[in-house]
Amino acid sequence: MRRAVVNRVLLGAVGAVLLGVGVLVLLGGLDLYRRVGLHPPGWWPLTSPDQPVVSARSRGRWVSSSWWWPTVIGGLTVLVAGMAWWLVAQLRRTGLSSITVPTPEVSGLRLRVSARALEEALETGTAVLPEVERAGVRLVRAPGHPRLRGAVRLTPGGDPAALVEHFEDGPRTDALCSLRLPELPADLRIRVLQAAPAEPRHRWPRRRRRQSRVV
Amino acid sequence: MSSEAAEGEADGAGEAGGAGKAERLRAPRTAAAALVATGLLVLAVALLYDVIAVRAGRPARRWRAQIVDELATRHLDDLGVLVGAGVVTLLGGWLLWLAIAPGLRRWLVLRPYGGTAAVIERTGIGHLLADRAAGLDGIDHLRIRVGRRKVRVSLVGRADPAAVERQLRDELGRVGLARPPRLDVRAAGGRAAGGAGESTEVAE
Repeated sequence: MRRAVVNRVLLGAVGAVLLGVGVLVLLGGLDLYRRVGLHPPGWWPLTSPDQPVVSARSRGRWVSSSWWWPTVIGGLTVLVAGMAWWLVAQLRRTGLSSITVPTPEVSGLRLRVSARALEEALETGTAVLPEVERAGVRLVRAPGHPRLRGAVRLTPGGDPAALVEHFEDGPRTDALCSLRLPELPADLRIRVLQAAPAEPRHRWPRRRRRQSRVV
Repeated sequence: MSSEAAEGEADGAGEAGGAGKAERLRAPRTAAAALVATGLLVLAVALLYDVIAVRAGRPARRWRAQIVDELATRHLDDLGVLVGAGVVTLLGGWLLWLAIAPGLRRWLVLRPYGGTAAVIERTGIGHLLADRAAGLDGIDHLRIRVGRRKVRVSLVGRADPAAVERQLRDELGRVGLARPPRLDVRAAGGRAAGGAGESTEVAE
């Protein structure tokens, strides 16, 4: 999941900067260095509660240098471009429109199968498995090769382990064999329904709404 | 050709099995990252616009002059500065937590089989256990809480907690979780099913 990694790096970087600045200001403002008896080195910023957050001296330290404004403008431009690229990248669909089928014995032929057709075949194949109430399958991008992502709702008392085996031996193997794909890993998300509720359960409304929405 | 396909499939299965790919799901964190990116974008665009305007000879906007002025005059022990720093610290810690924590705590990982990795919803496990218990005699009221490492069941009724625990343990084993949670069944009166160390201390 390349995109998830970028997301987490972004969150981590912003979080670390905010945390660092906040802790520095708190340490200085509450005069914790003196109370604890720590002696930070001379270049350490924000040590005394009497100093301003950004003093005129520290603000003017680099402003007169010739590299300051080009650096600031360049840095901000890079930041704007990066964030804009990231937001645009989110608009790209995670789904695939088609999948390439290898044709090793025929040269010059490029065969593509519609992702929707593959998804529908897998959905029908999964829905007829025992104890399956409802099934949805999507073909998604992943680093390397596409992945299948399935959401399955089992009838009350259904057997999740058996479902995984049936899915692997049935629809997934069929798809692999008929398309002759080297690999097509699958992730299944399984929900299990409950037989008539014996008693009202305390559950948050949010969760109930999520549960009623299938796939 | 079919042997080729079978080979490929066996390869995939071997890979998945060998890696022991029973990892937790990790949340993509799309919404949080989008919020942070939008905030950063707005800030950077406003600042860039103003910096360039100032370089072009126009006066700085009032918001920037005001922020700079506040930062230069307010001291570190100013209440506003301290509160702001506290908020920033909490926000930063939360974002770091979002970046590190896997998230998606609702899902538990099942044992992988071939090239299929599966997760099951925790409430779904609760449903399975409740349905299994519904077929047992002597249970008036049953409360099942499925945690990520421990399943707590408290029951009211004349049923024997040990017998109920055997049934539920069987059902839990049938689910096929990669890391099966501990099962703790106890009667609401304090009578615990024997076995677990922590249940005996509450037994009296």
